[in-house]
Amino acid sequence: MRRFWIDTDTASDDAVAILMALRWPDVHVEGISVVSGNVPVEMGARNARTTVELCGKDTPVYMGLARPLLREPIYAYFFHGPDGMGGMNYPEPKLPLASEHAVEALIGTVRAAPGEITLVTLGPLSNIAAALAVAPDLAEKIPMCFVMGGAAACLGNMTPAAEYNIWVDPEAARMVFHSGMPLLMVGWEHCRGAANLDDQDVAKVRSIGTPYAHFAIDCNASAIETNRTWLGDPGLSLPDPVTMAIALDESVCTRRKKHYVDVETQSEVTRGMTVVDELGVWNKQPNIEVCWAIDIPSWKESLYQTLH
Amino acid sequence: MTRKILVDTDPGIDDTMAILFALRSPEFEITGLTTVFGNTDVVFTAQNALRLVELEGHDHIPVAQGAGRPLILPLRSLGKLVHGQDGMGNTNPPPPKGRLASQHAAQFIVETVLANPGEITLVPVGPLTNLALALRLDARIAGLVKEVVLMGGSAFRGGNASPVAEANIYNDPHAAWIVFNAGWPLTMVGLDVTMGCIMTVEYLNKLCQSGNPATDLIGQILPAYQEFHDQVYGMGGAIHTHDPSAIAYLLDPDLFQTERMPVYVETEGKCAGQTVPDRRRQWIEAPVVNVCLKVNAPDLQKLYRERLSR
Repeated sequence: MRRFWIDTDTASDDAVAILMALRWPDVHVEGISVVSGNVPVEMGARNARTTVELCGKDTPVYMGLARPLLREPIYAYFFHGPDGMGGMNYPEPKLPLASEHAVEALIGTVRAAPGEITLVTLGPLSNIAAALAVAPDLAEKIPMCFVMGGAAACLGNMTPAAEYNIWVDPEAARMVFHSGMPLLMVGWEHCRGAANLDDQDVAKVRSIGTPYAHFAIDCNASAIETNRTWLGDPGLSLPDPVTMAIALDESVCTRRKKHYVDVETQSEVTRGMTVVDELGVWNKQPNIEVCWAIDIPSWKESLYQTLH
Repeated sequence: MTRKILVDTDPGIDDTMAILFALRSPEFEITGLTTVFGNTDVVFTAQNALRLVELEGHDHIPVAQGAGRPLILPLRSLGKLVHGQDGMGNTNPPPPKGRLASQHAAQFIVETVLANPGEITLVPVGPLTNLALALRLDARIAGLVKEVVLMGGSAFRGGNASPVAEANIYNDPHAAWIVFNAGWPLTMVGLDVTMGCIMTVEYLNKLCQSGNPATDLIGQILPAYQEFHDQVYGMGGAIHTHDPSAIAYLLDPDLFQTERMPVYVETEGKCAGQTVPDRRRQWIEAPVVNVCLKVNAPDLQKLYRERLSR
């Protein structure tokens, strides 16, 4: 079994990504750490537990940082709904919250199995930055970190320059990108347009008919609507599941390359912009890999197979 | 009734002088020393902290090693030119006997504060990275700490690490921003007072002749520090009183003239690490800090000598 750790600000698309990992045949999710982001950390932890419970698992869910390192929290209720789950108001899960702090739990798990725990991050990078500050050795002990965040092509959703996860805690992202940890950045540009589930795809998911399939669409009720009205992008955009699909099966990412990538932290206009030196004009040592293309049918197939 | 303090430190020559001052003051119960990079690498500062608690039989006090680099910026500089590679004026002291606590300093701070709600005074005398990390790991500590008395910053005195920035704040301006904005009671013992309290050669010579382990150690490590002060400030063997001033404030706040004012910490650009005093309250968002502006240097030095020469 491959061993995963998921860091998440669990709202609708995070929930689908968690579900994919929990239901993937050769993957064991060791733990889920929750961070402030789409919703406050307590609400995110509840949504993560709801998802774990739906999948019939007892994966521990840990609460982490309640806010970004420096910036004030800005939640995304407008996108994910008042409960972060499309207004579905799922009942309080019975699965209790794990008592350990998310950062401690992550450090302990990675140190106990160096080189074995694949990290997938679906939210702002505050927890990961704090973990690396407390335990810099994690950078060598995590074989790969898949990050949903950023926009290599400078196509933002929070601002024209920045994707939400990086924009919320740009300082944390900057720290993590420069930590030396092997990292693949899956930008927001891969999670829209043709990568969206269109009406036909949504109908196909519904027709699968399992509780997982209905959950995947239901909890995104608000996201699908806001994506259309606010971003003018028809269909259901699923950034976290696209990233998870790549973590589960790296062949979903069809073109990737290591570049020097930095995060803007000082500017008002471009706060949180992920600046990728594609041509190497800075002549700096490349620090992270960037996903440049994905196989869209293959990503969707990965999703569907976890919903049966 | 003793006062519970936790000193976060990067010993360091003046840190050593401050810690020995605290260890020799019965008013304090020292719940732990947490260490950080700054005057030299964190590996050295942690070993030095262990040496200090062992020097005169205080080895029940736990020492936890913390951050080896600033929170967000890459490591820019260490104070090795001032404090020596080993943080002890290049005297290469023998290794300590004791062991470090298993937790990281930030976790140690969180645990100590949660276990002693409302009782702990945090006394950071190095870069503020460990405190900032602790605040983000567990936001509750902001309301559970009795107060924070820090050596760092400069209101009206200019900087020592840059024209505008004091070294502790300069070494991790983002962490300082977090600590200043945490909403806990904070006193800034900065260059305004620490550079206003000069220990002369005569004072130091007499102090180091007291003939106890603490003053013997100070006598050994001090020459490097004196040399730096002479090279940079032409002080002819005299030194500024940086970190011991924070301990002095705890023992007798009346030694200081203070004023409450908003202080903005600059985190970016050429002025990163500057602590800007907003005396006329024009930047309403800046947190209000109790700033030490003047010091009664003779009485502070008298108190220091009294504690160290016993």
